[in-house]
Amino acid sequence: MQYVIGVILLLTFFGLAYYCIKGHNLMIGFLVITIIWTVLPLLGTLFVGGDFLDANEVLKFGASHPLSDGTTRKLVDILNGIYQSAPEGWGTTLVNVCWGAWFGRVLMDTGIASTLIRKTVELGGDKPIITVTLLNIVTAIIFTSMTGAGPVIAIGVIVLPIMMSLGVPKAIALFSFMGSVAAGIYLNPVNFAQYRAFFIEPSQMPDFTLGWYARHWGYAALVIMLVVTTILTAVYLKKNKASHAWAAQTRGPQASQKDAPLYTLILPIVPVALNIAFNFSVIGGFVIAGFAALFLCGRMKGTFKENCQLVNKLYYDGVVDTAPLVGFLLTLPMFNSVAKYASPYFKVILGGVMPKNELVVCIVFAVLLGLGLFRGPMTLVGCGAATLGVLQNVASFSVPFLYGVFAIPTITVNIGSCITQSWVAWGLAYTKVESKDFLKLSIPNAYITGIIQYAAVYLLLGGLGAQWFI
Amino acid sequence: MTREEIAKVLKPIADGLFGKQRRPSYEKPHYEIRGLNDMLRDLTAIAPDDWWPYAFSRDPVNGKLTDGQRVQLMYKSVQCGYAYADKIADEYGTDDPVQIAKKMGMVVTYPEFPERTDRVLFAEFKPANQIRIYMDAVNKAKDLLRDRTTAEILTDNLDVSKLLLSHELFHYIEEKYKDTIFTRTEKIRLWELGPLHNDSVLLADSEAAAMAFAQRLNHLSYFPYVLDVFMVYGYSMEEASGLYEEMMTLLGRGYEKGDKT
Repeated sequence: MQYVIGVILLLTFFGLAYYCIKGHNLMIGFLVITIIWTVLPLLGTLFVGGDFLDANEVLKFGASHPLSDGTTRKLVDILNGIYQSAPEGWGTTLVNVCWGAWFGRVLMDTGIASTLIRKTVELGGDKPIITVTLLNIVTAIIFTSMTGAGPVIAIGVIVLPIMMSLGVPKAIALFSFMGSVAAGIYLNPVNFAQYRAFFIEPSQMPDFTLGWYARHWGYAALVIMLVVTTILTAVYLKKNKASHAWAAQTRGPQASQKDAPLYTLILPIVPVALNIAFNFSVIGGFVIAGFAALFLCGRMKGTFKENCQLVNKLYYDGVVDTAPLVGFLLTLPMFNSVAKYASPYFKVILGGVMPKNELVVCIVFAVLLGLGLFRGPMTLVGCGAATLGVLQNVASFSVPFLYGVFAIPTITVNIGSCITQSWVAWGLAYTKVESKDFLKLSIPNAYITGIIQYAAVYLLLGGLGAQWFI
Repeated sequence: MTREEIAKVLKPIADGLFGKQRRPSYEKPHYEIRGLNDMLRDLTAIAPDDWWPYAFSRDPVNGKLTDGQRVQLMYKSVQCGYAYADKIADEYGTDDPVQIAKKMGMVVTYPEFPERTDRVLFAEFKPANQIRIYMDAVNKAKDLLRDRTTAEILTDNLDVSKLLLSHELFHYIEEKYKDTIFTRTEKIRLWELGPLHNDSVLLADSEAAAMAFAQRLNHLSYFPYVLDVFMVYGYSMEEASGLYEEMMTLLGRGYEKGDKT
């Protein structure tokens, strides 16, 4: 019977993949699959053999199926664990998201982000490839601390017209910018906390910090993506020479913004630097750098009441930026939690074919990188969460290794190269670049970057000691 | 219950489950919509050299220049454009940009290419000899020119397609004379570090000279930057009004409020 249930679960997994690829609502999709994956495995215990239950204690509940230590577990405890404790556990991740969004708004409002871009362009001048290289570096640095569609759009409306005014074809400009944003996200503490929570509880494995991750693989991942994106941009530019265009550039929302003082341009990296160097609180870093930015840029010159209103408004705007993500983020932990009840059935079906060796995992994932596109079964912000659930339960890998394995299709492929990423979709509409023209540039980047990053995962995160296993 | 009624009841549920993810957008500034002719009257009265604040506001390295440099560079760029217009007209024996393009061996195409972005693209030169005139913008401008007053302000000499072609021809000429032409030889030093330095030409010089070249070849009494507002108006009256306000503010000129002709 466990085979039948395993096959049905596998079919629902493919159904979820299809649902995600079609671009439907992710939050609802994961909520529905969570319910299905709760009902099938738990109801299935009524029909499977006693040996199967004895081998998979996670499925045991009720007085008739005591655990090996003699205690019993109630069905309601399992359900509470899935639908209450799991999303509650993600609260700690969510507060990081909210404060990160506030800090992003502060950098936009004070003009620090736009000044950083303008000053960078002034170093590059009329040579598109030099300017694009510098812009890519600065964009990546900015997005180590900013995240969300709002900040990407705010920076995009500055960077993209500049690149286009230098004659860079719009598809190349868009590809280059989105690749650099994704490169920065490899070191973003908010994204790190978000993705870490897919693998372990926030309180588990305290040594797996952003600083540890950055030193062991994060810096390498960022640099690989930045360098490959920039080299590919140069190659594309060589093929598509820069043009001279007569175009009217209408005013963007930040056109009239004054330059921020030069010494404030260091503030975007302060929260990340404090966290990596001293393991200092991410939120503390956001608060220190955020208020320093507001004071140093003269945004706190009003009355106390006005200043309070400003800080409040920036927080409100920041939270609104992240709102579409929050529902999805709070549904995912339910799914992550329920995956462990489905995994015994998956093990029956897939146990023999799922890779159990780190080198094989890296090779298989590198070959299948394309499945990270369109919210496919490789990306954590798509139905890759289900793949992780399966992989995590049929074989044993260290947490940092699995993190790296799934971060690549999530960040390099989905966030940096896929048209289903919210801000890429915005960029396509803003620049009027056809989806296929963008994908022709971004997919080679996803593969080249991804393959090198997998090599780095194997070399830098492979063969870790027992303390990195759950 | 009919089939339609059932579908109507189920639609909100289906939308909730299968509704696509919403694409994020950003709040653009809003402007009071202005009368096109009033804006054109103001803009056509501006002398070529006075356009420098607007011309340089679009240059990525504008922050490296002083106002004094900008004024000087604008004057020289405009003179450069005029001089090359005269030189090319003499050399090819005609001031018709279509004929000149043909004699120069340019490949001129006229794609439709509708542009509705924040950056409205009118025409483009791609080395070595490709020029594209985007007809969507041209046709919208032609529609606006059906208004007699608009046509009078912009004069009979305006043929939008030829004006755009003239502008792009100048960029080809820049390539051809890149060792001697002002817009390519005039550079500013962006930074230096010991023996290392980065010198850059200015996009604003190139664009201003191309405008002057197009003005002279098409015998227009006004500077072609006017077309930025005129042609954007075909896409969005509000955006064009915003662009006009920005121009007038940059150029230090007042503009009347509440004009809704």
